[in-house]
Amino acid sequence: MTIKINSNSRTQLAFASFRRNRIAMLCLWALAVLYGLAIFADFVCPYAYDDENRDFSYCPPTPVEFRDHGQWVNPFVFKRSLTFDAIHRRVYVIDPTQKYPLHFLKGGRLWGVDDPGRFYVWGADARGRDLFSRIWYGARISLSIGLLGVAISFILGLLIGGIAGYYGGWVDASLMQTCEMFMMIPGFYLMLALRAAVPENFNSVQVYISVVVILALIGWASLARIIRGMALSLRERDFVLAAKTLGVPDIVIIFKHILPQTISFSAASLMLTVSSYILAEAGLSMVGLGIQDPIPSWGNLLSDAMAIVPVIFAPWILLPGLFIFITVMCFNVVGDGLRDAFDPMFRD
Amino acid sequence: MPRNKLFLVFFICLFFSWGAWAHAYPSRYGGSLVEATSSDPKTFNIIVTSDANSQAATSLLFEGLTTEDHFTLKVIPNLAQSWQVSTDGLQWIFHLRENVKWFDGKPFSADDVVFTFNDLIYNPDIPSPSKDVLTIDGKAFKVEKIDAHTVRFTLPVKFAPFLRVLEGQPILPKHCLIQAVKQKKFLFTWGIDTPPAQLVGTGPFMLSEYFPGERLVFKRNPHYWEKSPQGDALPYLDKIIFLIIHDPQAQLLKFIDGEIDETPVDGQYYPLLKPMEARKNFHIYEAGADFGTRFVCFNQNPGTNPNTHKPFVDPVKLSWFTNLEFRRAIAHAIDKKKIIEIVNNGFGLPQNGPMSPSSGFFYNPKVTVYDYDLNKARAILKKAGFFDRSGRGTIQDKQGHDVAFNFYAAASDDPIEAQIADIIAADLRKLGMKVNMVPLEFNTLVNKLMATFDWDMVMIGLTGGEEPHFGKSVWHSSGNLHLWNPHQDKPATAWEERLDEIYDQGVQELDENKRKILYDESQRIAADELPVIYTVLNMDMYAVRDKFGNLKPTVNGGVFGNIEEIYEIRH
Amino acid sequence: MKSVIKHIFQRLCSKILLLLAVSFLTFWLMHATPGNFFDSLRLNPQIAQDTVDRYEKLYHLKDPFFSQYIHWVINALHGEWGYSLYYNVPVSHILGSRLYNTFILSMTSLLLTWSLAIPLGIWAALRRNQWVDRVLSLFSFAALATPGFYLAVLLLYAASRLGTLPLGGMHSPNYDDMSIVGKIGDTALHLVIPAVVLSLASIASLQRIMRGNMLGVLRQQHILAARAKGLPEGVVIYRHALRNAFNPLVTLLGYEFAALLSGAALIEIVCSWPGLGSLLLTAVRSKDVYLVMSSTLLASVLLIIGNMMADILLTWVDPRIRYDNQN
Repeated sequence: MTIKINSNSRTQLAFASFRRNRIAMLCLWALAVLYGLAIFADFVCPYAYDDENRDFSYCPPTPVEFRDHGQWVNPFVFKRSLTFDAIHRRVYVIDPTQKYPLHFLKGGRLWGVDDPGRFYVWGADARGRDLFSRIWYGARISLSIGLLGVAISFILGLLIGGIAGYYGGWVDASLMQTCEMFMMIPGFYLMLALRAAVPENFNSVQVYISVVVILALIGWASLARIIRGMALSLRERDFVLAAKTLGVPDIVIIFKHILPQTISFSAASLMLTVSSYILAEAGLSMVGLGIQDPIPSWGNLLSDAMAIVPVIFAPWILLPGLFIFITVMCFNVVGDGLRDAFDPMFRD
Repeated sequence: MPRNKLFLVFFICLFFSWGAWAHAYPSRYGGSLVEATSSDPKTFNIIVTSDANSQAATSLLFEGLTTEDHFTLKVIPNLAQSWQVSTDGLQWIFHLRENVKWFDGKPFSADDVVFTFNDLIYNPDIPSPSKDVLTIDGKAFKVEKIDAHTVRFTLPVKFAPFLRVLEGQPILPKHCLIQAVKQKKFLFTWGIDTPPAQLVGTGPFMLSEYFPGERLVFKRNPHYWEKSPQGDALPYLDKIIFLIIHDPQAQLLKFIDGEIDETPVDGQYYPLLKPMEARKNFHIYEAGADFGTRFVCFNQNPGTNPNTHKPFVDPVKLSWFTNLEFRRAIAHAIDKKKIIEIVNNGFGLPQNGPMSPSSGFFYNPKVTVYDYDLNKARAILKKAGFFDRSGRGTIQDKQGHDVAFNFYAAASDDPIEAQIADIIAADLRKLGMKVNMVPLEFNTLVNKLMATFDWDMVMIGLTGGEEPHFGKSVWHSSGNLHLWNPHQDKPATAWEERLDEIYDQGVQELDENKRKILYDESQRIAADELPVIYTVLNMDMYAVRDKFGNLKPTVNGGVFGNIEEIYEIRH
Repeated sequence: MKSVIKHIFQRLCSKILLLLAVSFLTFWLMHATPGNFFDSLRLNPQIAQDTVDRYEKLYHLKDPFFSQYIHWVINALHGEWGYSLYYNVPVSHILGSRLYNTFILSMTSLLLTWSLAIPLGIWAALRRNQWVDRVLSLFSFAALATPGFYLAVLLLYAASRLGTLPLGGMHSPNYDDMSIVGKIGDTALHLVIPAVVLSLASIASLQRIMRGNMLGVLRQQHILAARAKGLPEGVVIYRHALRNAFNPLVTLLGYEFAALLSGAALIEIVCSWPGLGSLLLTAVRSKDVYLVMSSTLLASVLLIIGNMMADILLTWVDPRIRYDNQN
């Protein structure tokens, strides 16, 4: 009689427990929506991210009208023109005689209006670019940078932490000292110092890659330590000893037996790392050292909002901050939920 | 009434009437002014520096022989109370004021004037920016002491802006600095580490404390020579504090908050500030169009880096930048009207040349104007061989290279510069050029322009004034601010040669009208040959707390050009 | 006691070695930075040829990489940290006051965090799943997710509208005229916004951890025993449970200090607080390599000191280390 050892049973239990956690599931769905909107930005957004119209600087959101003189009609927006009042404030005057109908599924986009009309769901920025569009194209950058950075950090962490934890001894000590070294430099300082080493005339693609690498470098060390801790305890487990007795090579043991276990445990840390990377990129772009104009990222959209005057007169430019907040919150809740789900003492 | 009670009543009446009498003539003395400056001074040694922040910090301490009436723009006496000039215009005798003392009490005399010119400015070991302006055809002025209060200047040739030049040249104390000069250490004296008491000048205020990164504190010079028309010993204010606030927005907030008394008002702040005037007790003063310039420039420097032996500019790019049609096309791609609207809420003027309307007499409005027309720009580019050969939406030159270059702007801590640079870059991209806008910190940018020359396109601004000759280091081919191709041994092009002629002649021409003809031509050449492409001119506006009297804001002098007359109003 | 000292000494040695490693990393980064710092130095007319030559000799710029590094370390130990192109003075002249300012901000934030988070955590644990707990839970999540810099901007804006708090910076214009008490009060006022923003996330996470620990401890056997003995509830909670719940938190102190310094940098920038963070930003923007290096290294030193203090505290608090030589 053979007793089948299912090494995934704990993981399955954990995921089941997670699914029962209503709030965490809600946040997971929210994240799916955010990423979906980012992926399908070309479809969802009425404009490209650099589609500017300087006659509509800081235009407020244009509400969609459904009634015309009391009758229900196809949705449209009114024409607006910019004037400056006596104290040089922008005033948008609505012309009720000119209507621009809202059309759907035209030119590969879900919705929009024809030129010269402009349709601003959440208002326009200083150069008349649609904030709604820029937020979702920006989501591509902000959300992907977090994931890519974590992916690299995780791979680094797995390699170094796994090897350190498995072999122990001087290998462990030296690798952990390297980790400690990276953790000795406060994250923001390391980020900025690394950024100073990037050549100044990098184009936007190169800057993106640099930012991903920089983010990965600030967070890999703590991930490595966690994984090392797990690897240390795992290597004493029976199935590892069994594999060793059977003569399975070390590398195979590490990659096939130990690391898969660590993934499930480190899932929680990964979620929290993603949220911290998203915040880090936002901070970096906000002080002008991250993603540059015209490519939007939530961080550099917020740098426009750092100026007090636009915030007072065009408060919609604060919206990207809300999305950073929601995204980070969701990742944190999911991370927490995963941690609770894997915690053997947790009673839900 | 009993006697003592009468006396009591008498004294009470006297007491109150004295109070009333004092109230009717309140003392103007005392009080303080808090201003903001955007960064630390680089040094207090005004001979070796020319950056605006260092000058702002030292302008209160030192004075020149002459100064300027900020309204009429005419030269008036300062440390020199009168002067005569010989008929040939070459010999000038200055009679110095006799009751002027340095901060340490020693008397100001002709020795100090001679020292400043002969030992500092004309000293070959000291790289002074003023040397350029005070040298004509390589010849310096002869400066001699006649007696303790008389100095003679002998000019090698006629020098039209001579009196104005003296206004910008502060006199430094011989007794404090002669040692440093003799020991060849002058370059590093009076750096920012210097104890304030050592900074000895003759000005209305002296430096009392300096906290790097935080503030400069100036206190009243009790021995200042100037008196008000009523005979009051000036200045009135006790203290002036410059807070160092890098962020223009923080400056604005501190002004609204009441921490500082004055702030320049950018167009975009106007709608925020104007409604607050009554509630927050201040007024906004519109002084006029700024003197300065803001332009984009392409690197036409054919030289090679002596260390790396590589050319400063990629030869492929150099061929574009030196092509006038290329630059003309770009001039049609500057959306001046919208820049003014978006960045400054409509305050400002399109700029077409190096002088501003505020310059007055020498300003030439009749220069070529380039309207914003991307189609025109594309047509010009196409005719010059730049068009989309690849179908990818970008343009290539005749050899098939994509037109791609770096665009540096001092935008890393200035959101307005960043916005203008972004707008220009966006338009250039619409033309099909691949523009990489790189925001740099201001000093880093200056370093590129003045030291390493490794740039393609920059956007930067320069200060200006009413005297065209002061732009010599920009327009003369040998000048170090001749940004597109500095320090030339001989002029690289015919128009640069002509500009050299104009600047060499104009400075010696004493007839103002003949000068105007020359400088009108130089402004036309600048607009036709486009070594720089101008963008927009700001309006100078200031918001000042309602607590000061004698306020006379001007473009020329700023809001406190007459700082010695400013007093705090007592109620 | 001897074992405690020995333990601390061991930790100190390893930290110093780490610091050397960090200095090597930052030095290597500085070398990787493109741009020719010394060319710029040489071309600046205000800096004497002497000074440039002196620095070239001091830093052995013509020597190979490792030799340069060794010399840099030796110089640093003598207080010679390089030259700042932006401020035009040796770096050592600027670091002192900036370090002090960051230190004040971090310390204030730390004090604020711990004095608020511990009581709140206990409260939440004692009122588990009641409205207090739920509100605090919600607050924690919200606070952890809010970007600190964003909150700082919002608070500064709110303060400008209300007019009560100073808007950034560290001192008021008339700071010099104030008495000692006045100066302390003035600095405290300027600290409010940056310290509050900085502490918010820490308070949130620490409070949750305290709550978790407290709940864990309250479930344990010895608490049950204490209650069975008939001890009053107050004694049970504050004498027995709290001690055990609190101890593990001390280990967090070290990590928290890291997050604190990191978060402080960005907040400093937004609030114009003249500390190491704003110095670093200026340095990076102006490619002032020695300044970048020194600020980064100094921040690491601060961090190590913080960790050392946490280690000492932990040693003092954890009896296992006291009585046991091995760890």
